[in-house]
Amino acid sequence: MATTTVHQTKWWSGGKSPFNMEYGKLMMWYFLMSDAFTFGAFLISYGSIRFSQNFWPDPNVVFNAFPGAGHANLPLAFVSVMTFILIISSVTMVLAVHAGHKGDKEGVIKWMFWTIIGGLAFLGCQAWEWHHLITGEHAVLVDGKIDLIGQTMGGNPWGDLVEDNTALTAALNNTSHETLVHLAHEYPTGGTVVAMEALEKMSDGQLAGMVDITHAHIRETGPIAFGGYFYGITGFHGFHVFSGVVINIIMLIMTQKDVFKNRGHYLMIEKAGLYWHFVDLVWVFVFLCFYLI
Amino acid sequence: MQHPAFEEVTVHHHHEDDATFKKKVRKTTILLSIITIIELAIGLTIYTIHKGESPNALLVLMFKGAVCILTLAKAYYIVSVFMHLGDEIRNMIMTIVVPLMLFVWFIIAFIADGNSYKNLRNTYDKHFEETTMPAKHHKAEAAPVENKGGKE
Amino acid sequence: MSEVLNVQQGMAAGAVHHDGHHHHETFVSKYIFSQDHKTIAKQFLITGIIWAIIGGLFSVLFRLQLGYPEQSFPILETFFGNWAKGGQIQPEFYYALVTMHGTVLVFFVLTAGLSGTFANFLIPLQVGARDMASPFLNMLSYWFFFLASVIMLSSLFISTGPASGGWTIYPPLSALGEASSGSKLGMDFWLVSMAMFIVSSLLGGINYISTILNLRTKGMSMTRLPLTIWALFFTAVLGVLSFPVLLSGAILLLFDRNLGTSFFLSDIVVNGQILPNEGGSAILFQHLFWFLGHPEVYIILLPAMGMVSEILSVNSRKPIFGYMAMLGSLFAITILAFLVWAHHMFVTGLNPFLGSIFVLLTLLIAVPSAIKVFNWLTTLWRGNIRFTPATLFAIGFVSLFISGGLTGIFLGNSTIDIHLHDTMFVVAHFHIVMGVASMFGMFAGIYHWFPKMFGRYLNNTLGYLHFWVTIIGAYLIFWPMHYQGLAGIPRRYLDKRGWVSFNQFPELDKMITIVSIVVFAVQLMFVFNFIYSIFKGRKVTNKNPWGANTLEWTTPLRPGHGNWEGEIPEVHRWAYDYGKDGREFIPQVEEIGEGESKH
Repeated sequence: MATTTVHQTKWWSGGKSPFNMEYGKLMMWYFLMSDAFTFGAFLISYGSIRFSQNFWPDPNVVFNAFPGAGHANLPLAFVSVMTFILIISSVTMVLAVHAGHKGDKEGVIKWMFWTIIGGLAFLGCQAWEWHHLITGEHAVLVDGKIDLIGQTMGGNPWGDLVEDNTALTAALNNTSHETLVHLAHEYPTGGTVVAMEALEKMSDGQLAGMVDITHAHIRETGPIAFGGYFYGITGFHGFHVFSGVVINIIMLIMTQKDVFKNRGHYLMIEKAGLYWHFVDLVWVFVFLCFYLI
Repeated sequence: MQHPAFEEVTVHHHHEDDATFKKKVRKTTILLSIITIIELAIGLTIYTIHKGESPNALLVLMFKGAVCILTLAKAYYIVSVFMHLGDEIRNMIMTIVVPLMLFVWFIIAFIADGNSYKNLRNTYDKHFEETTMPAKHHKAEAAPVENKGGKE
Repeated sequence: MSEVLNVQQGMAAGAVHHDGHHHHETFVSKYIFSQDHKTIAKQFLITGIIWAIIGGLFSVLFRLQLGYPEQSFPILETFFGNWAKGGQIQPEFYYALVTMHGTVLVFFVLTAGLSGTFANFLIPLQVGARDMASPFLNMLSYWFFFLASVIMLSSLFISTGPASGGWTIYPPLSALGEASSGSKLGMDFWLVSMAMFIVSSLLGGINYISTILNLRTKGMSMTRLPLTIWALFFTAVLGVLSFPVLLSGAILLLFDRNLGTSFFLSDIVVNGQILPNEGGSAILFQHLFWFLGHPEVYIILLPAMGMVSEILSVNSRKPIFGYMAMLGSLFAITILAFLVWAHHMFVTGLNPFLGSIFVLLTLLIAVPSAIKVFNWLTTLWRGNIRFTPATLFAIGFVSLFISGGLTGIFLGNSTIDIHLHDTMFVVAHFHIVMGVASMFGMFAGIYHWFPKMFGRYLNNTLGYLHFWVTIIGAYLIFWPMHYQGLAGIPRRYLDKRGWVSFNQFPELDKMITIVSIVVFAVQLMFVFNFIYSIFKGRKVTNKNPWGANTLEWTTPLRPGHGNWEGEIPEVHRWAYDYGKDGREFIPQVEEIGEGESKH
């Protein structure tokens, strides 16, 4: 925008937008501002709870899985894939908006399509991650016995590592048969894996002797709010991604049907774009708060 | 392009030509990717520090601070280039940026009170302290010392 | 009608209009799903009045209990059954009444009913626009409010009763269904209703802001805007930035209630059993709540302030004193409103150092507030005052704002607040400064703009009666409560007879109850006046009955959708040229004459 015009125009004198911006885009900006406070409040509450705890799980320990990689310890790998998916989908969105400015219908369709694919890919990744965290059970020392629990809204297996081996050995005596079978299968003394069927027939006492307690990485339970905030905030973000995808699909159909072409401008694409970039922006902060620090 | 539907828009938006635009987008994409990679590297560094024998809390805190700054840089590029806020009139930028300043006190007050709640409980609720204080800390801080670092 | 719409900015008023179709207005599109901001304003107003009657009735009921705890009223049992067994208000009923009174009055009456009504009605008319920026979203804003109303209203009929943990819904009481009967389904209804309400206020807020910024008519620069518009602008900013924080808190609370999370819960023992919830912080919820809750006070107050400024200036036939100072203090109040929330939480165990910062910031609010008060008084000073009911209510607002504001200085100090917290002193303070004062602002607005809304006048005699009984009644009700509070009598107690120190002033409580019944009856008289005058009131024959400068009085007597026939007038001066150069008033649309003095 030429700076000379900016200085000559009396922007605030009425009869025109002081920001040279149509009302719809302005409303979108202020809506996003408001939404930023919703997310801000979530993340700040998370911070407040985290600071009120003596212990908080290290994200690198929690988020270390990768689809198809089994038990390999790959901290941050999967989430970086998710982050790049969102960044790339933001870029395709920018290109769609740019094509819209030029009135290039085919360009808009092409880039919107890729943006939608990016959004769906992200949602797929998130679904996998949630599924992995909820169903992936970990051995935890609770009330003098060992339990297998996943990361849920009300339970957190990511407490401090228990290094007191006598306490753990004692806990094995109170542990359920099922859990013992699992532990003896996963962490056998001497490293020789025994078949599940054989283990299931053994007595609790035998099984307890077969568990290599130092390799099992048994932890205490962690702060419950960890899971609540993780699922709550990433879920709320995922809901935004989902609604963004829905909006983008609607925009794609409208473009296809020449709605914007007949209207003479593709400004709706720009507003959808603002929303989409905001979703990306929020992820940058979710990524920071949950995965990096 | 004309926007006849919106009378309030009085100056036609000037859009950069394709080449400059593409260059700008490419530059920003690369920049965002590089920042993300640095962030990941720092995240892994923190991980290795934590795995080590006696983690240096101050060093970890400094790395975490660096990641926060890098994130703000990323946010700046997304908002300014991708959302084109940088191309808007200055006053428009101010209506977005100024209210965001509220976050400063919002964050400080909430975090400070969270931290203060922890200290209160560690002082007056021994059960809380015994059940939640990690074992290593217990040995290191036998006496009830205020946990200045805050974060784990 | 649609010819009107297509002129000029009608185009900008929303995509709905540009199709150029001549749509015939049916009853439904004209009165129910109307996109005309004036109709939406009336919808907000009437819904607000219905809520005010319900909320007011609640207060009369719990005042009966407070004034006459020993007496039984068989009629109550007839109406409320088991909730008032033996004609005695039961504890659950009492807490439900107190909670719903607060919720209804704060959110449904003084937020939606006040700023919803007047922002909708005045913004397009006073800035010179055909309608809101997006009339469609504006309509949705009302219907989300309606949905919130329906949900809240239906919560009154749940067998376990509506929410009853206080309007501030602090956990753990609100987070645990086992905690009380009102914490069961009623609490979920409350939270869902509030989420709908927040959507409504958000849709309204971004619309108000965009309209004020983008759709001002030619010549209407920001410093020519009437103070009403400025006040409504800042109100919208407050709402857009603070309501989402309550939304977050409400969502987290819903999770705690229904999904087993522990955001706000820790170390809770119910019936001798420790709940599994650990590590949460009940104080965190209070932070989230008051991050909205405090700005909310100003969301309620600012529109009243803006209308009072306008009404006082118009009716004292003098320019508003210190326009820029008024504007600056509105801005300062808006900023400070966001920084002081924890002064509601001094006794929670908040870090005392943090608390002292909040004390400092809180006391700073006294500065812009005082500036506003002095400017109102100096606007009246030596004015040629016309004592219409609107003027009286506006002056009443100033009086109440001073009385209630002064006690705010007491409560803003954490040291004094520790003694006064949760006593009747607090009840007296916030009712005077924000409850009744804003109510007065709302009444002033209704009396003043009723002719523009309905083309008829409200009955003046009833108006004067309404004013005098209400102002005297308000002081008789709330003034003694300060003394009760200083004597240590706590709020929210069902029956004080069990404590010698709390049971000190039973006669005073009886007096307050009687007065509140009288005041409530007079409000019903106002509602009668309102309904009667819509249909039978004296007709307005003069386009500008108050001799005011602002743009709404340049519209036709009964403006259609689009507000002005022909072009929207251009503005050439600020809104406060009263008593200038020997002329009583010079409307904003009049061009600056040659040799005219500067204001």
